[in-house]
Amino acid sequence: MKFTGLVLKSVRRNKRRTTLTILSVAVAVFLFAALRAVLDGFSAVAAASSATRVVTVRSTSMIFSMPTSHEQTIRSTPGVEDVTYANWFGGIYKDPKNFFGQFAIEPESYLRMYPEVLLSEDDKRAFLQDRTGCIVGDGLARKYGFNIGDKIVLQPGIPVYGSQDYEFTVRGIYRSGGSNVDNQSMMFHWKYADERSTPKGQIGWFVARVSNPDQAARISVAIDQQFANSAYETKTDTEQAFTAQFASWLGNLNMLLGSVALAVVITTLFVAGNTMAMSVRERTTEIAVMRTLGFRAATIFSLVVGEGLVVAIAGGVVGALLARAIVNAESLGLAGGFIPMFGVNNLNVLVGLALSAFIGVMASIIPATMASRLKIVDALRRVA
Amino acid sequence: MALIELRDVTKTYRRDAEEIGVLDRVTISVEEGEFLALMGPSGSGKSTLLNLLAGIDQPTRGAITVGSTEIGRLSEGALASWRARHIGFIFQLYNLIPVLTAFENVELPLLLTNLSKKQRRDHVMTALGIVGLTERASHYPRQLSGGQEQRVAIARAVVTDPTLLLADEPTGDLDAKAGAEVLTLLQRLNREYKKTIVMVTHDPHAAERASRILYLEKGTLSQHQPVGVGVTT
Repeated sequence: MKFTGLVLKSVRRNKRRTTLTILSVAVAVFLFAALRAVLDGFSAVAAASSATRVVTVRSTSMIFSMPTSHEQTIRSTPGVEDVTYANWFGGIYKDPKNFFGQFAIEPESYLRMYPEVLLSEDDKRAFLQDRTGCIVGDGLARKYGFNIGDKIVLQPGIPVYGSQDYEFTVRGIYRSGGSNVDNQSMMFHWKYADERSTPKGQIGWFVARVSNPDQAARISVAIDQQFANSAYETKTDTEQAFTAQFASWLGNLNMLLGSVALAVVITTLFVAGNTMAMSVRERTTEIAVMRTLGFRAATIFSLVVGEGLVVAIAGGVVGALLARAIVNAESLGLAGGFIPMFGVNNLNVLVGLALSAFIGVMASIIPATMASRLKIVDALRRVA
Repeated sequence: MALIELRDVTKTYRRDAEEIGVLDRVTISVEEGEFLALMGPSGSGKSTLLNLLAGIDQPTRGAITVGSTEIGRLSEGALASWRARHIGFIFQLYNLIPVLTAFENVELPLLLTNLSKKQRRDHVMTALGIVGLTERASHYPRQLSGGQEQRVAIARAVVTDPTLLLADEPTGDLDAKAGAEVLTLLQRLNREYKKTIVMVTHDPHAAERASRILYLEKGTLSQHQPVGVGVTT
């Protein structure tokens, strides 16, 4: 502890350089925490996905639709208890930059299927009774200031829904009761969208609840078999597999984001290491003087590593706080509703801080070794 | 009783294939409480001798004993601890740490002891009191004159109450007035506080303040001036 003051004084020796090093570590930790948030978000969705729900989409691609007649076929499949369906709307709210998820749903069965969509009884009733009504997540409501009774006008973003604007009335504000339901979306009656659609009666995906999760795989196969060799072949998976597949469409995220994080960390390591080495080289005489006063090589080593740690952890704290402030800011909506539980959690903050400590130690090992192995007489002679 | 004994100390450096002799079989003894000045032209080996006494360099041959310790036998770590306990070193260019105040600079060697914060503070203020700089305790080196910096450096050297004070050209970077003040201070430390001092200097006026003067020439002790008691070559 008595050396802490000495370490802090050394850190403040060159404020500009220290600040820049802190910022470089902060950027590394910020990126790391933000990228981890993306991966964690997908993992959380997969983990929270129900084992009793299976999702059916077109076998060719999710962007192709299916006829409503599929509903009855799926519902009649042995082991299926309930079915609902939804479409992606993709409308524009005032400006294309205002992106959030909009789903045309079959309201009664959808709310039955997803008890995680937490809605008061009054709001639910009002929503079900109003064909042009909609419900919005509380996060979305906060972001755009939506209140019950407000009108929301969406310009269709997909040609199939026509060219005329859609006007909705906010009938309820829901909360998310699970990681697989985000609070940044809007849901409205499928029929309202279908009325103006060309062609009509098209469904994006079906969700079926199965009685026994152990039978989910068998039931999925059974559903798909019924549409085999038809014009609308399907691909059914458990919700968990569907979510994982959705993430995989974006590529091998783990590897991609991991590589980016690693590259940033290694670059920062070199930057911080070079800075520390420069700082030690400038203090050759001081270190020789300290050795002359009786400081052991190990103590000098620890002091230099201590400096590296202080600078790097300061950067880690700044980076983690920035990540919490920016990534977690609901108003910024960085995930745009694609990742319901998107945010830098405490574990990521801790891992980010540990990473900064790792950078601090690794970046200062070589300079610390240089400093501790310094030949006192040579170092003193260099200046004298 | 001799505090320092150098017996046939030889120091050579190797530069590529060439071996350069710096000290050649030097034998000196210094009594406890003595103020010894080492004089000699540049390259005569006087600073090397001082470094050997401080344990920051090792002789090629011969033995150096300070008190009852033959310092050549100590490991690197033990030597560092020995320096912390027994040596106070005063440099020509003061070598204060620029980011530390005068107080913190003087406190630096005490961080290696087990003294409490309050005890360290008392020791530092006493040392700064001896050099007459208590009111400058919170000043940084850049806020001090050269003479004041050297006095802080002296306070740093004496704060641990070392066995031996070693001064390498302590007035070499000072004007005449500041140099005289520093020499008076060293004399006071020798006479009032019974500190044994070995000082390297070019300046004959500075050397006159010492109780004995030794001359080094080309790595050996020379007899140009009367040599003191206990010196053999």
